[in-house]
Order: sequence, then C-alpha cells, then structure tokens
Amino acid sequence: MSESELEPTIEETPPPKADSPRQRFWKRMVRNPLALFSMVWFVILIVSWVWPELLATHDPFKQDVTLQRLFEGPSGDHWLGTDGLGRDHYSRVVFGAGFAFRSIFIAMTIAIGIGVPIGLFSGWRGGRIDRAIMWVNDVLFSLPIILLAMAVIIILTPSLTNAMIGVGIAMATRFVRLTRGVTLAEKEELYVDAARITGISVPRILARYIAPNLLPSLIVQAAIISGAIILIGATLSFLGIGASLDDPDWGVMLNRARPDFRREGIWQIMPSGGALVLTVLAFNLLGDAIRDAIGRDASSNALTITKRVSVAAASTSHAEGDDLVISVRDMDVEFPSAKGPVSEILNGVSFEVRAGETLGVVGESGSGKSMTMLSALGLTPAPGRMTRGSVNFLGEDVTNLTEKAWQSIRGKEVGVIFQEPIAVLNPAMKVGAQIMEPLRIHMGMSKAEARTRAVELLTEVRVPDPARRLDQYPHEFSGGMAQRVGIAMALACEPKLLIADEPSTALDVTVQGQILDLLAEIQTRRNMAIILITHDLGVIAEAADRVLVMYGGQVMETGSVEDVFFRPKHPYTKALLDTMPQNHSGDGELAVIAGIVPQPTAWPTGCRFAPRCVHATDSCTSTMPPLLTVNTDVVRCLRHGEEGFDLAQPASGTEVLS
Amino acid sequence: MAKYIGSRLLATIPLVFAVLVVTFLISVAMEANGSIATQICGEGATPECVGAVEDELGLNDPIVARFFSWFGAVLSGDLGSSLLDQNTSVGELIGERIWPTISIVGFSLLIGVTLGMLFGVLAALRPGGLLDRVISVGAAGVIAAPGFLIGMLLSWAIAVELGWLDPVGYVSLGESVTGWLKSITLPSIALSLPTLAIVQRQLRSSMANALQSRYVLAARARGVSRPKLIGRHALPNALVPTVTVIGFRAAAAIGLTTAVEIVFGIRGMGEMLVSAIVNRNVTVLQGGMIIVGLVVASVNLLVDISYGFLNPKVRLDK
Ligand code: SF4
Repeated sequence: MSESELEPTIEETPPPKADSPRQRFWKRMVRNPLALFSMVWFVILIVSWVWPELLATHDPFKQDVTLQRLFEGPSGDHWLGTDGLGRDHYSRVVFGAGFAFRSIFIAMTIAIGIGVPIGLFSGWRGGRIDRAIMWVNDVLFSLPIILLAMAVIIILTPSLTNAMIGVGIAMATRFVRLTRGVTLAEKEELYVDAARITGISVPRILARYIAPNLLPSLIVQAAIISGAIILIGATLSFLGIGASLDDPDWGVMLNRARPDFRREGIWQIMPSGGALVLTVLAFNLLGDAIRDAIGRDASSNALTITKRVSVAAASTSHAEGDDLVISVRDMDVEFPSAKGPVSEILNGVSFEVRAGETLGVVGESGSGKSMTMLSALGLTPAPGRMTRGSVNFLGEDVTNLTEKAWQSIRGKEVGVIFQEPIAVLNPAMKVGAQIMEPLRIHMGMSKAEARTRAVELLTEVRVPDPARRLDQYPHEFSGGMAQRVGIAMALACEPKLLIADEPSTALDVTVQGQILDLLAEIQTRRNMAIILITHDLGVIAEAADRVLVMYGGQVMETGSVEDVFFRPKHPYTKALLDTMPQNHSGDGELAVIAGIVPQPTAWPTGCRFAPRCVHATDSCTSTMPPLLTVNTDVVRCLRHGEEGFDLAQPASGTEVLS
Repeated sequence: MAKYIGSRLLATIPLVFAVLVVTFLISVAMEANGSIATQICGEGATPECVGAVEDELGLNDPIVARFFSWFGAVLSGDLGSSLLDQNTSVGELIGERIWPTISIVGFSLLIGVTLGMLFGVLAALRPGGLLDRVISVGAAGVIAAPGFLIGMLLSWAIAVELGWLDPVGYVSLGESVTGWLKSITLPSIALSLPTLAIVQRQLRSSMANALQSRYVLAARARGVSRPKLIGRHALPNALVPTVTVIGFRAAAAIGLTTAVEIVFGIRGMGEMLVSAIVNRNVTVLQGGMIIVGLVVASVNLLVDISYGFLNPKVRLDK
C-alpha cells in the first residue's frame, strides 16, 4: 500500500457545540437546586409584590377583635392564623413582600448611586485623593450600619423610607470598596492604557472596559447586600423606628408579636419570621449561585475530597537491582472535573533512578514533569489521582501507601526541593522551626539537638551567619538564600533520593552554578540519587547522567546524557536541542519550538507532539505512538527506525497538518 | 512590637476624630430639618422652653465655634445632658446602660468566635465531608436569621417551654455573678449565632486556601503529620483574614444588640438609643454614637495588633 492510496484517516469530529456564556450561565443556575429554590421563591415574592390581591385572602389591615378571633392558629379561613388584632397573618405576609422590595429599592438605589460613582472616581484618580476618599469610606465602613441608619432616622424622623436612606448610605461604602478595587486593577491593564493614549474619553473607557469587569462582582454583591438590607430593615422596624406600626411589614409584625409571643405561643412569630428568613436565605443563595455560575472554575470543586480509588496495575514489571532507589511503571494521573471531561494529566509514565545517579527530566512547562514527581510520592494535588501504575521505592511497593505511612518516608528517605523557594516557606513560621521540623519528626531529636543540626545544615549549604538566620522569617530571605534553606530542609535527614524541581531557575547564574556544585558534592558524599527537573538543557548537560524527556504528560524518550545530546531519537528532543542558544545559528533571536503545548483536556488524538512536529505524517495524527524499547532506553515516535528517517531532515511531501 | 502598637495607637486618633465630626453633624442636620428646640418642646412650645434648649445646645453660635466648644466638652468627658431631663447627664445615663450591653456583646463574641473557629477548622479538615456539609447548611440558615428572631425562639424554647432560665430581665454582676451569667446567656447566644456562622465560613475558606498552598505541600513533603499541617502551618495563616472579619462582626454586633436587648427586656444601650430616636433626644444619641465610635476604634486597634502577632512581616516592617 503506497502513501497515495491512503485517504487521510483523521476523523472530522465536529467540535462540540459550545454554549454561549449566557446559555452556560442559565444552565448552571437551573442545575443548582439551591439556586432553583431561590428563583422559585423570588417568583412568589414578586407576584406578592406586584399583585398582592391575587394571593392574599383577606384585607391585611382588617381587624377582628372578637375574642376568639385573636391569636388564632392556622385554620381553613386563616391559613397562617391571626395576630393580636385578629388580622390575617397570611395576607399580611403577602403584603409584606412589597415592603421588602421597597426597602431594597430605596437602599440599593442610594447605595449603588453613591457608591459606584465614588468608587470609579477614586480608583481612576488614584493618588492622594483616592487615599483620602478611602480613608473616610473606611471610617464609615467600620461603624455599625444600624447606628448610621439611626443617625439618619433621628435627623429625618422615623419611617421606613428614612431608615432605608440611612441603610443605603451605609451600604454605599461596600460599593465604593468594590468598584474602586476593580477600577484600580483595570486601570493598570494594557488595553485601558492603549485606549487612553488613543484619546478615548474617560466615560467611554469606563463604560467599555471597566463596567464589563465590574458588573459580575457587582451583581453578586448586590444580591448578598439585598439580603442584608432586608435583615437590617426588619431589625429597625422591629425596634419601632422603621415602617409604621400598622403596616404589614415583616419586621413590624414581629414587633407587634413581641409582647405576646411568650404567652400566646411561638406560632405568632412564625409567618413573618419564616418569610424573612427564607427571603434573606434566597438572596444569599442567589448571590453564591451567581458567583459559581459565572466563575470559570467553581472554586468549591477544589474542595471536594479525592476519594481513594483502586489503582490499576502496571502492565510492565519493575527494573531490578539492589541499587534501585525508585522505579515508576505505567503511571496514569487523572483530574476529574465537574464540568468537563476527565483530563488525563499523565499517561503511562515510567522511569527509574539508581543510587548515586542523577536523572534529568526535561520538557517545556505543562509537559507533566512536576506532576510526575509529586504523584510518585503520593502528593498528587486534589482532585487529581493516580489511576494506573505502580511505584517501587527502596524495594517496597508504595503505590497504595496510606498518607500516614508516607509521612515516615517523606522528608526522611526522600527530600524535595521545590521551585519558587519563597512560596514554599510558611510565612508565619520562623525559618529555623521549619528546618528543624524533619529533624524532630524523623530523627527524634530534641529541640536543642535539632537546632545545632540546623546550624550545621545551613553552614553546609553556605548560608552566612546561620544561627541568626534561624530566628528570622521567610520574608527576610532573598530568593537565593531561601533556595538554600529549601535544600537544607530537603537534605536534613540524609535522604536516599533527592527530587529537585528547578532548583536553580529563580537564581542568577553564579548562584545557579554554586547550587548545582553543592548538590553534586553532597551526592558524591552520600551516594544519593537525584531527580533533577528542569527546562534548561544546559543544567542537564552539566549535572545529569541520564535524561527523561517528557511532553504532553508522556515520556517521549530516555537515554544517557550523551545519547540525548548527540544522538536524539525523538523529534521533540531534537526540537528542544535546537532551541539551545549554542545550537542556534543566526541572528541571536531566541529560538522556540513553534506552536504551544496543548491543554490536557484537548490532547491531540494521535501523537501528542504531532501538531508541532516537523516530521509528522498523516498516521501521526491518528495513531498514538507506542513506547518502543531501544536497548535499555525507550522512545515514543511512530517514525523511529523507519528507513531513511533522519531527525535532521524535516519531512517533505507529507506536510504537517496545521 | 511596641513600636508597631504605638504607631497603630496613633492611627486611631483620626478615626475617633472622624466619628466625633460625624456625630456633631447630626445635630447640625437636625437643625436644618426644622428647629430641634421647637420639636423638643412639643406643640405649643413656650419661648422660654425654646430659649433654654437653644442655650443648652448653643444653637445660636456659628457652627465652627459650636463644634469646638462641643468638642472641648466631649474631650473633658462631658457629654451634655438629656434634652428631656436637664438633670440627667448623658454620661451618667450611659454609665448605667452600658454594662448590660457590654456583657452581652462581649459574651456573644466570646461564644461566637470560639465556636466559629472550632467549627471552621472541623469543616476544613474534611471539605465536602458530612460534617462540613451539615455545618455549612446550619451556617447558611443562621446567617439569614436576624439575632432578635433567634432570641425570640430561644426565649420561648429555653425560658418559657423548658423553664431553664428567666425569659426577661438583667441581673448586674454586682448583685449576683450566677444571676448575671444566667441573665445574659440567652441574649448572648442569640447574638452570637450569626457571628459564629460568619467566622466559621471565613475560617473554613481561608483554611482551605492555606491547605492548598505551596508551603503546606512542602511541609507534607517533609513528612509533617496532618494535625500539625492544620494547627501549625495552615491555621496561623488562615487566621489573618478571619481576624478582620471578627473585627467587622464585633462592630455589627454592637448595632444588632439593640434589638436583642429589647427582646429580653434588658435596659441597655439599645433601649436608650431607640427611645432617644423616638423622642428626638439628640444629645443621648450623640453620646451613644461617641461611645460606639470609641469601642469600634478599640476593636480596630485590637485587630491591628493581632495582625502584628499573626504576620511577622507586618510586625517587623513597621
Ligand atoms: S510520531 Fe510522528 S508526530 Fe510524533 S514525534 Fe514521531 S514523527 Fe513526530
């Protein structure tokens, strides 16, 4: 079968019809039972407000002072009973909705009408005026809302409208804060800058760029503040300084029930209290639901517990040998998500490291290097989990180890150096206490012993003046010094394996060299195995014995450092090598591999590197290449071993599919 | 640390000053909305009465002069006298009324903050677990209910139906310690429940953030056990935003205690403020606002100081 007979075999799967953001929003809202409840409740309230006569069964003001008509329980005539003047509770509750909405309307108009313009102005102006406005705002913000409302009420005389004017002014401070925050952040954005330079007027910039970013949080905030307005309005009416004492307002109903509820039974406060609580609850739930529905990532998902699932066995067996420190076989890691498909972050990852050896792991960011190491140590971040594979550590199967059992291995047998050296130090804890932690946990040292050892460790990683440094906090450390602390912590218990994730990236070149030398020196002394994760091939060339090349959550090839540099087997490795400055012929422009690393939710169907591979053929885009064993190493490329296939010669004829 | 506290202490002075200005403006605004004096003296006010009230308030002086004489008096501890009864000084009135209010607000904060933090940590231990969900539902319900309504329910259930405590009244600490405790228990619980829920929610979410942080991951990689991850690593960091929320809640509780006091028939600041409003007794309201302003300023100061303890960066930079 010749090439030409082959019809392109890529199946034209039409992209799933994407919902517009608006459709997605409503879908999420309707699917959320709590949001549905609040929306139904609002429909009832709105009908009660617009057309109370439709729902009410009695005149809410009509008294019936015949004795047996007072403080009645629910009955066929009075569904929710009657109050101390024989008025129908149910009808009064229905009419109460109008008072609630009127309260919200008045207070919210004032709060947004004052708060948003001031916030926009303050955030846009910035500088001293902004600071002055915010200071005054903070003073008002910190005073109890009820007290501010009381001040307005005493000035204007008690009434629901006046109470709500006071509440509106108090609530304006919330909107000032919110609006000013968004404006300040947006103002720094490049597109706003550009608009300014091109001479677009400020009101138009505000309308076009700031408003769309402000609106979602404004709506969420408004929903929650509406609930608060009802609560405070009810409290003021209950105090007798809000709605008039005859009105069928929920707060007033509670005020009227107060002298009698102990004698006449708790039922007296139930109809109005229930309506009040349900309405506030509905507003709060609505606010939460809107926030979740507009959020790209509902943050609540990140909180769900990762259930332990059984890990499917690996299909290949572990490497052997006494000097084997860690061996990983066929590891798959998946991230389930509520909204999208399960994404497979890692697929069939295998590697091993022996004592005294340094394995370099390379690949662009997003290739799965760090995830591989975290998962091998049972540290897969939730809600991700390992679904297949097997991990052997120091001759023991640790695939299904409990968190508790891991605790005695992590920090003792294996140390980890993380990237972002400052972020991995607890800002609220002295650095010394953090270094001493593994010593006290694993070596059973006393405080004094651990401290002595910590000083030794810091000396070993060349932190000057170690004793003083122990009593400092992380923010007093530079990146380089913090990285040394990270190394000291990782090495504290003399682990058999050290995993170093970009240990030198954040540092300048001289410090980088020093740190790598330091690691090499300690490695020789202790015959320690090192896994060195980096995207810097220069570091690999300098420090690694063997190399693992990763892309798209898969191993692309393994090999000795010489093989990988001089006889790469995989087009991706070759592409990486071509980006190295010294291999780059020409104008000094920094070379990059064309295209971007795909997202885990959208891996290409065939070879994951195909969209960017200069050697890709039609079959590359349809068939996932298997992991081929070549001598003691592996490679994942369909064209490996193909006759006349030369990594140095880009494919001709069969061109890359976009 | 001392230096830091000193600088925070200085920062509260403008806050107190701002509260005093706002308070002063109330009487100016009342004036603009019709003569206070005539309103106080009621229908058919005699000129003598109006004159006396105007003198008492110094209403005929220029505003700035009025402000400074009022300001001077307030600084020397003189809050004026009640407009209804020239013989009652506002200071004395507040002195009588403030203790029940302080007792209830203080006790409610103690309960709300302690239990709120406990439940917050418990919920964060197993996010999405049964306990977390039960607590979340309870908190959502409690946040939606005003304190006075919870108070009515408690008063009916515990005091009337079960008869465990007295439904109304206040016993001062001087009269009887157990009596005092008994009399403030129900109002404090009523006022504390929303506090509890708000503190719980905040702590749960900031604990969840802290537990997902890089430094907790790094601590796990050192073999730190789960209780220590939670107690030593996550909690101190999660407390920083929680303390802010507690501060706001303390201020809110001072406002909301008014209605709770009235449910339990306690003659505290709440009842005093409400009758001051109804009677347009502005000096009493102003006195109340000044006291509340001072309390809010001290709460802010406490919040700032706790920041210093919780966040070494704040403490050492200043
Ligand atoms: S399988 Fe095809 S697309 Fe993938 S690396 Fe090999 S040649 Fe390139």
